[in-house]
Amino acid sequence: MIETKGLGKIYGRGLYALRDLNLTIDKGEFVFLTGPSGAGKSTLLRLLLLQERPTEGDVIVAGRNLARLTRHEVQAYRRTVGFVFQDFKLITTKTVFENVSFALRVLGMPVEQQRRRTYQVLKWVGLQHRLNSLPEELSGGEQQRVAIARALVNEPHLVLADEPTGNLDPDLSLEIMNLFRDINASGTTVVVATHDRELIKWVGRRVVQLEHGQLAGLPEAPR
Amino acid sequence: MIGYAFEEAWASVRRAGRSAAVSVGTIAIAFVTLGGFLLVSVNVQRVLDRWLESAEVSVYLYDDLSDELRTALELHIRQQEAVAAVEYVSKDRALERFRADFPELLDVTASLGQNPFPAAFEIRLRTGATGDTAVDDLTAGLAGQDGVADVRYDRRWLTRLMGIVSTAQVAAAVIAGVLMLGAAFTVAAVVRLSLHARRDEVDIMQLVGAPFSYIRGPFIVEGLLLGGAGAALALAVIAGVYAAAARWLGPDLAGLAGAGPLQFLGFREGVFMILGGLGVGALAGTVASRSAK
Repeated sequence: MIETKGLGKIYGRGLYALRDLNLTIDKGEFVFLTGPSGAGKSTLLRLLLLQERPTEGDVIVAGRNLARLTRHEVQAYRRTVGFVFQDFKLITTKTVFENVSFALRVLGMPVEQQRRRTYQVLKWVGLQHRLNSLPEELSGGEQQRVAIARALVNEPHLVLADEPTGNLDPDLSLEIMNLFRDINASGTTVVVATHDRELIKWVGRRVVQLEHGQLAGLPEAPR
Repeated sequence: MIGYAFEEAWASVRRAGRSAAVSVGTIAIAFVTLGGFLLVSVNVQRVLDRWLESAEVSVYLYDDLSDELRTALELHIRQQEAVAAVEYVSKDRALERFRADFPELLDVTASLGQNPFPAAFEIRLRTGATGDTAVDDLTAGLAGQDGVADVRYDRRWLTRLMGIVSTAQVAAAVIAGVLMLGAAFTVAAVVRLSLHARRDEVDIMQLVGAPFSYIRGPFIVEGLLLGGAGAALALAVIAGVYAAAARWLGPDLAGLAGAGPLQFLGFREGVFMILGGLGVGALAGTVASRSAK
């Protein structure tokens, strides 16, 4: 599903955020990216979401080299990827329902289909009773569930989450992680960046440890 | 997608409030200038056209011209392509006209002892012929005829006047263009402000893979709405000024120009202004929205 070859990202005057990263994540895998602050976790996710382009090497997702995509191909690629951020990134002036259906609306899906699918996914995250609430009326956990619903609403093959529990208490964090486990159980590849070791232990999936922009320990063996 | 763009653009214009009003006002000022120039231009052109159409060629004859030669000359004139009608004005008729037109100068004509006015042919030109070279050919041809003392065609000063008016039109168009450019920058600034206000929304749209037309559409439509509103406001202002001018100055101006009552902008000019406003606004919105990519 995801393969990086000699991936490097340099900021400013030669500051490496990622250096010669060779990593493979299989289709349907659940992978934690972990490491201290500045290890390169968020940079890797930004490169996978094409918010930035790599300075060196290649990122290949589902057989496509992301470094070579045109602007329009980038938009098409992003439609196949769901994303969840620590700060939720919800539109404050739109309701829960609108925040989620928005992802379908901009893709031009017929209104009736948008409604049906949005309701389904909001019900799945347990927010069917908060459809008309504004984000500011929700708790942190509820806001993150809205963000997860938005990430899933167009049925992506890959979900990327950057510190999705960073603003949540431990109980809510477990609740959110359970949702990610369920997403992964349906066959979606999930990559979660977190530095919460307890959470990683609790979920018990593959861990990719980054340090100074490189894989910590031995390089990944070819798969 | 179009419905979405209009919906979002309208919401954005309402949110922008005062800055949107400033933007509409700036466009309106530019278009009032343009529309005012069009209004004056339309009416001046009408007057000039009327004067041009009524311009006559006067062919003055020698006193000793025989009747046969005069008849032959009249026949020759009637056969010319540019001629619509010919009237022979005898020496006596010319004197009568003078006396009728200038009764205060009756003493002068009486003291002369003899009639100083020459007989003449007054030629009315056919519609549309006044700008043709056929008229120049006609006057040149008549000037060389036997018995013709002089040929006068009062179009020349009109031609010069039309040249001045054309220059003024170009100058006004340049001024309106500069104002419109300024208005476009104002619209672009307002659209950029609303883009900034909706930065998070735009970022999210980009992350979910929304097509660029979906991301930029609302901002282009916002420019379109501001531009259209500015042009419509300008038309309303011009209509108001026109109504006042027609009411208070209309009869005097009409009498002075001899071209009937003042005329408002035609449908074509109105459409030109509205489309111009929409176009300038959309262009400014397009340029401003280029940063949303």
